[in-house]
Amino acid sequence: MKNFFFINEKRIHDSARKHVSGLADYTDDINEPNGTLHGAVGWSKEAHALIQKIDLSKVWKSEGVITVITASDIPGRNDVGPVFDGDPIFPVKKVEFYGQPLFAVAATSTDLARKAVLKAKIIYKTLKPVVTIKEALKKKTFVLKSKKIQRGNPTNAILKSKNYLKGNFTTGSQEHFYLEGQVAFAIPKEDKDLLIYSSTQHPSETQQIIAKMLNQKSNSITVLVRRIGGGFGGKETNFLTSSICALLASKVNKPVKLRLDRDDDIIITGKRHDFYSEYQVGFNDVGVIKGLKIKLASRCGMSPDLSGAINERALLHIDNAYYLANVQVQNYLCKTNTVSSTAFRGFGGNQGMMVIENIIDNISKYLEKDPAEVRKNNFYQKNNKNITHYGMKIEDNVIQEIFNKLIKKSNYKKRYSKIKKFNLNNKYLKKGIAITPVKFGISFTTIHLNQAGALVHIYTDGSVYLNHGGIEMGQGTNTKIAQLVANDLGLPFEKIKISSTNTSKVPNTSASAASSTTDLNGAAALNAVSKIKENLEKFIKKKYNIKNIKNVVYKKGLIKFNKKSFKFKSVIKEAYLNRISLSSSGFYSTPKINFNKKTFSGRPFLYFCYGASVTEVTIDTLTGENIIDRVDILQDAGKAINPALELGQIEGGFVQGQGWLTMEEVNWKSNGQITTISPSTYKIPAVSDIPKKFNVEIFKQGKNKENVVNKSKTTGEPPLMLAMSVFYAIKDAIASVGKYKTIPILDAPATPEKILMSLNELKNRINYGS
Amino acid sequence: MTSNTIKFIFENKIHKILNPDPNETILNYIRLRLKKTGTKEGCAEGGCGACTVVIGELKKNNIVYKAINSCIAFTPSLEGKQLLVVEDLMLKNGSLHPVQSAMVNYHGSQCGFCTPGFVMSLFSMYKNNTSYDEKTIEESISGNLCRCTGYRPIIDAAKNLNNNKSDQFKKNKKKTISLLKKIRPESIFINSKNKKYFAPRTVNELKKIIKKYPNLDFLSGGTDMSLIVTKQKKDIKNIIYLNSIDELNYIKENGKYIEVGATTPLRKFELFIKKYYSDFNIILKRYGSVQIRNVATMAGNIATASPIGDSLPLLLSLDASIVIESFNKKTTLKLKDFFIGYRKTKLKKGQFISSIRIPVYKKNIFKAYKISKRIDDDISSVCASFNLAIVNKKIKNIKIAYGGMASIPKRAIYCEKILLNSNLSEDIILKAQRSLEKDFQPINDMRASKNYRMEIAKNLLMKCFIEIKKNRLIRLNY
Repeated sequence: MKNFFFINEKRIHDSARKHVSGLADYTDDINEPNGTLHGAVGWSKEAHALIQKIDLSKVWKSEGVITVITASDIPGRNDVGPVFDGDPIFPVKKVEFYGQPLFAVAATSTDLARKAVLKAKIIYKTLKPVVTIKEALKKKTFVLKSKKIQRGNPTNAILKSKNYLKGNFTTGSQEHFYLEGQVAFAIPKEDKDLLIYSSTQHPSETQQIIAKMLNQKSNSITVLVRRIGGGFGGKETNFLTSSICALLASKVNKPVKLRLDRDDDIIITGKRHDFYSEYQVGFNDVGVIKGLKIKLASRCGMSPDLSGAINERALLHIDNAYYLANVQVQNYLCKTNTVSSTAFRGFGGNQGMMVIENIIDNISKYLEKDPAEVRKNNFYQKNNKNITHYGMKIEDNVIQEIFNKLIKKSNYKKRYSKIKKFNLNNKYLKKGIAITPVKFGISFTTIHLNQAGALVHIYTDGSVYLNHGGIEMGQGTNTKIAQLVANDLGLPFEKIKISSTNTSKVPNTSASAASSTTDLNGAAALNAVSKIKENLEKFIKKKYNIKNIKNVVYKKGLIKFNKKSFKFKSVIKEAYLNRISLSSSGFYSTPKINFNKKTFSGRPFLYFCYGASVTEVTIDTLTGENIIDRVDILQDAGKAINPALELGQIEGGFVQGQGWLTMEEVNWKSNGQITTISPSTYKIPAVSDIPKKFNVEIFKQGKNKENVVNKSKTTGEPPLMLAMSVFYAIKDAIASVGKYKTIPILDAPATPEKILMSLNELKNRINYGS
Repeated sequence: MTSNTIKFIFENKIHKILNPDPNETILNYIRLRLKKTGTKEGCAEGGCGACTVVIGELKKNNIVYKAINSCIAFTPSLEGKQLLVVEDLMLKNGSLHPVQSAMVNYHGSQCGFCTPGFVMSLFSMYKNNTSYDEKTIEESISGNLCRCTGYRPIIDAAKNLNNNKSDQFKKNKKKTISLLKKIRPESIFINSKNKKYFAPRTVNELKKIIKKYPNLDFLSGGTDMSLIVTKQKKDIKNIIYLNSIDELNYIKENGKYIEVGATTPLRKFELFIKKYYSDFNIILKRYGSVQIRNVATMAGNIATASPIGDSLPLLLSLDASIVIESFNKKTTLKLKDFFIGYRKTKLKKGQFISSIRIPVYKKNIFKAYKISKRIDDDISSVCASFNLAIVNKKIKNIKIAYGGMASIPKRAIYCEKILLNSNLSEDIILKAQRSLEKDFQPINDMRASKNYRMEIAKNLLMKCFIEIKKNRLIRLNY
């Protein structure tokens, strides 16, 4: 990366014009060939039960029904589990969650298909379900073995510490609520081949899972994804929709489209893991943590799915930005009769970080100190205290700079005292403020996933067609990668076309996940470009007898060899006539990373993203209602390729995190039935919820130390964790009611109800104490 | 004269549907028959706004544009109107409408799936307002969910909307008006696939129909009833649609009471009521969304009799009456006597609500509060409404009602008794708070626990009296 010229261009999303005019096609918008059928899924009304009889005779007879499928129609593997088995497409003997698919139909219209599935008669023998984390801990039902990690001697350190606290803490589940629900469209081709359009973050795995299900080779299945209407992790391993759709199409040998109704989508598909933790912490008088022991349990649902990796990331982020000299964490991956919990932006990292932030917050309240100071006192340092609890040396730490800058920029200190005054003068409305840091590790912790491929063609008119393995889900990866390639070739952006992600063009890709889509696929695209450039340069040098030139410059449609320069377009034409290849694949694998899952040590991350946020809230102590008065954010995006798109990720991530921590509440009845299944019962933030003042800035000094495209840093997941400050600002406002002398007990999400109950509990404790 | 053909303006032409399925939603019609896929289905229950389209209606030689949720509106309701979908906004030469340009330039879309809905909501705002402050913008998009952007860029786009009004719709206005005049709505009778659908245009016609068919289901805005089709996947076999009856779309005031015709959309009422009871306006602004309130009516809210219908506790505390008519009878009934059980009312087959009468209390204090998880478009955990006078420091003429606290929206009779003729002392308020436990036994559900419900019911009573005592509002500034 010599002569590096950083792209820093606020370009609009490459589909923006199509988005606003309704011309951007999503899977359900694809033109249907004549005779296309439409699917619907019939699912279990019990959370835990033996299946005694499935009577589908009335379903078969229902108007418009062409076929009905059950487990017995599956020729190959009846499982969509990505890492481990455990996610049957249709279970045979036992249902393990309310909403588990049992059969599906294809009918002449979606309406008729959905009507038909309601006519099934299923006889169950009900078993007692395990629904909550606490029930699972009690019954010792787990999806995977628990893991214990340790550094130093926490027991000893806690004993020797001057101060001690213990407690427990819960963070809630979260529904992805991508606006485009799960949908797939399968079209049979010759030789039993299938072309699958699917709203997925993971086309390669969709391909493999469908191939295994049908007992066919992977090369008979092609998966195409032009764009998806939001994913957030909810379309990373949800292969049920596409598998069922493919099975229907394969059975009747006709195109079938399967689009889940919103309620079905929420009922059938996985959500974020909720976490319950217990901690003991020893600390000194300035709040420095000396010893820490944590038990960390999560609701994984009925199968492992990605729970191993998610709970691992929680362990890897139990430190957030803090040096923990003596720490022990034991985790428990609870098996429950609920839908299998799955990937969701943050992927366990955010849940781990909330645990430590809650502890630090409680330490501050205990010591009656400004939490900002206690946080600072615990930060990782640059030259010492810079080894994580899993043995990775932090080489790119900028948290102090970001934190201090934000404290100044947001006028934190002045507002902190102003708020205390406000609270003295107001009996019913109380204000709170908090600043929280974010340090988030980038790379898949499953090392082999850190690879990507791309395919670049240059046509004889000089236009460029680019394919890569990443999925455009709103984050603007196609725009950013096209910017990278345009810049690298010295061409205007418009010359680059990126279209559908296609398993027949770029094979064996990883999911668009772990915040790394642009990092990995952008690098693969540049690798492909570099190979074509090599061909071109070799050809030109030979033809024009140019020697000793290393740095060829591609700029403004020209290729410059020192003084000699050529028009890109003419070189391409000439190269073609001289039989030079103008197409290449590209590949990238992340360097430096390694991680030993057994010893829980190594370097799982190529780099860290840093950020911080300050939030000010007002709560109504009579009702628990709250509003966010102001938020200030400073986020490290390295040398941002497209600051406008990064800003969108930061703000959007924050608001999604705010939803997770304040209003989004997934509710299960004690029998395992989920009751929050639609926008009328499950509330994601709407326009009036966002901060009244919202000051978001990208850290100008940011630059990725590692060799990542454009020296940028991703903004995929990290901004979600910026919302932690909302929660602690609310907790701060609650604490004011006890004159900041009593630590409030508050679990996430801090709904109006939880806030009011926390206030009551606090008042009771104070009255009881005195 | 009745017709079985629905006529509306689409793409500047008269579009006709002969004998449509009365249960087919406008969204399905657009996507599956017109093959326009820009309009999206996000939830099929009017809760996310992805399906937003704009309806143009002829009003006094002008076109009024209304954003609606096409996923929960049935196609016959298009009769006599103009249908605008997102694809209509871009000109043939590819140039974008000002609303679209603003959304593009301010990075208002990410995944893009909610975007057509936002564009249409902003488009109706653009057509109906000359300037847009933050409140207008937020209100206009409060029924549109976006999971990617966090809304800030969409608000920025709206703030920076190019406000010169010469879009293609303004240029085409004369032509559109003349087209709309050509398809002056007729009375509709559809008999299709074993389903009947009537849309009378006058009360007289309505009465004739209900005399003949007393078992029809009344459909007004349909924002609740349509879910029978979209969510329960059942048919509504026999529909009588009320919202075509213009003579029931009125608001009058005679010094004693305000009379609201049954088909008056909430959106119209919320503006009117502001000068009488400002809290009524505030609560209605948080009732559903603009898309919902453009079609939903108070009569519909009353007849649905949901325990969490947000206008009901307010009407109860104002001691509103309803006018009930059948083909040959007209009676009035106090609203407090109307609800008899969970979603059950005294309305008999063949009867309909023709208007609502809301007394005007010139000297009373009226306050209402809504508590929900989310500010916009959420169902109340508890909704509380207080109407009282203070005469010589004594509480007089007090009426308190709550929603979300029982199987019906209900007056707090015990609580009222304690407060009546009392002074505003703390003791009395505490006693009144406790008496709410006699009035209500709330339930647990996904929205709130019974304890929380009782707690806020008590606290809202307290809040009301603190506000009265201090003579200022203690509220969060949404």
